[in-house]
Amino acid sequence: MLLNIENLHLEFKTFDGISKVLAGVNLVLERGDVMALVGETGCGKSMTALSVARLIPKQSGEITDGRILFDGIDILGKDQAALRRFRARRLGMIFQDPTTNLNPLFTIREQLVDAVLYQCHEAGDVPGLWRGFLPSSRQLRQDALSRAVELMEMVGIPDGNRRIEEYPHQFSGGMRQRVLIAMALAGKPDLLIADEPTTALDVTIQAQILKLIINLVDKLNLSVLLITHNLGVVAKTCQKAAVMYAGRVVEQAPVRELFKNPRHPYTQGLIQAVPTRHTVRGSLEGIPGLIPNLNDPPAGCRFHPRCERAIDICRSEIPANTVIKSNHQTACHLY
Amino acid sequence: MSAISPLLSVHNLKKYFSDQKGFFGKSNTEFKAVDDIDFEIFPGTTLGLVGESGSGKTTIGKCVLRLMEPTSGEINFDGNDISNLGRSSLQSKRADMQMIYQSPAASLNARMTVGQIISEPLLIHQRIKGLQARSEVLELLARVGLKEEHYFRYPHEFSGGQQQRIGIARALAVRPKLLVLDEPTSALDVSVQAQVLNLLDSLQKEFNLTYLFISHDLGVVRYLCDRVALLYLGKIVEIGDVQTVFENPVHPYTQALLAAIPEPDPDIVEDEVLLLGERSNKELTNGCPFAPRCHANKVDACYTVKPPLLDHGADAKVACHLVSQEQQ
Repeated sequence: MLLNIENLHLEFKTFDGISKVLAGVNLVLERGDVMALVGETGCGKSMTALSVARLIPKQSGEITDGRILFDGIDILGKDQAALRRFRARRLGMIFQDPTTNLNPLFTIREQLVDAVLYQCHEAGDVPGLWRGFLPSSRQLRQDALSRAVELMEMVGIPDGNRRIEEYPHQFSGGMRQRVLIAMALAGKPDLLIADEPTTALDVTIQAQILKLIINLVDKLNLSVLLITHNLGVVAKTCQKAAVMYAGRVVEQAPVRELFKNPRHPYTQGLIQAVPTRHTVRGSLEGIPGLIPNLNDPPAGCRFHPRCERAIDICRSEIPANTVIKSNHQTACHLY
Repeated sequence: MSAISPLLSVHNLKKYFSDQKGFFGKSNTEFKAVDDIDFEIFPGTTLGLVGESGSGKTTIGKCVLRLMEPTSGEINFDGNDISNLGRSSLQSKRADMQMIYQSPAASLNARMTVGQIISEPLLIHQRIKGLQARSEVLELLARVGLKEEHYFRYPHEFSGGQQQRIGIARALAVRPKLLVLDEPTSALDVSVQAQVLNLLDSLQKEFNLTYLFISHDLGVVRYLCDRVALLYLGKIVEIGDVQTVFENPVHPYTQALLAAIPEPDPDIVEDEVLLLGERSNKELTNGCPFAPRCHANKVDACYTVKPPLLDHGADAKVACHLVSQEQQ
């Protein structure tokens, strides 16, 4: 088990009261898994990822309960120094918008070499103090540069030696995302968290990036947590998937099983709501109603106000995980 | 062909942006956002415009409504050429053609109530005010699935799907004939998207509306459109009946685009057609704009001659040298 999230609760203080963003998230990711975390806006998929990286802003957000075990060690108990080491060596993250994640004022070389040096330093490979400035040994910088070029080639940016001197605006969207993948992989992480990595890209570029990620998984022995709202991306790239709704994982299964035999009414509704190339006009069914307000979530199962099959117990009791088959679990009172 | 004349027909539509360098600089290159576009839409039907970002979909939509001035070309709407109309005559035409935008939040005035937003077009185009306007608005609200109590609320109090319904009600207020829908559901979640798509479908039947539907989501296009035009760098590469194009794509770009879109079904294994590189407006001023990324066996003409949009079968057109050679 590489990552094991148990009963994770996350709350945010807002002007309207306390927003219960995550309310008991359970998620298991094995080494070598490519797992999708699927759900609609506001269901907490990005917040789950940020919790794993411990990047929840301290002023407003608080993890109130639960454990996040990474390789058996609870990362909620780590101090800042240990966390930095963890982020540098074990975890890589890429985000939705490749443009805002690169500094427009610095060349790719400066940004990528920084990432490489930082990760070497945090791993203890580099002697000396960190604070405020980078290690300045010329040899070290040379090594970091050649490693950066190597990384660029690995993520499929041709002519890395020349392109590394360019600024982010000289790169296209797909190429920028590749740069960020290179940066995330600089520390040879065990887990790559990709938060909607292709949402801002065109479909033909999306296909390229997804293929790249899959190739890297085999080559680098990576595990991937892919956050997306696109069920097509899930079907095409992932082996397992977890469906989230309003701060809870409602169903978790291998991808084939999930699409062929969805059990939770929300999963069923979600799959039916996607128009494909074969959907007949007029046959599409949306899920009625709206996502709940997390400041005042519905009691019991958070999906019950939109669920056509809701029974009395759904309104009062939080459903526990039921094992349908090995690997296939759902949190629904109907099973 | 049927005897009905098209509601909208566009001929040789062009929109070039000049690449001006500096304040007094001369423009030496032109960016061809939309180049020689021809299409027709018949009343009560939907034409989908599909393409990646930068392919000119939105520019075409705006040029058709003259929200943007085309460089040249002819736009026939309802029997009249509107490409040269002046301000006031255009104003009266605008009641017949309305637009729905991608971002529902950004296209609604945050300082106006829903009632004001929806009644504004009534005031401008039909000079209806007061109680009469109010009853009309309430009717529209009910029709798009909102409630009477929403009349005095502000846009920020609604979810994305509801905001898009407000946008739809505003567009319908003047009883238009043509609606240009610019990615109306791409900002929405799938469960809400399905609701909005079904609403658009039933409104079309009820009011005999004609849609120009701009989207990059081929699933949505397949669901709602009768015909589809695929754009690549400002040119139509393939146009035809939705079913024919999707089940039997002819142009290499259409094939690649269809293959690139992941279907939400793990059992569908598509033929791998991975496009190389990315689109670029700079290469190839002559020749096919798609040639640098094309995976088919190219011929010399691909790099030297622009492929014309030629008939392919009964009701479709394709712009590809390989296809036209095959036919000969």
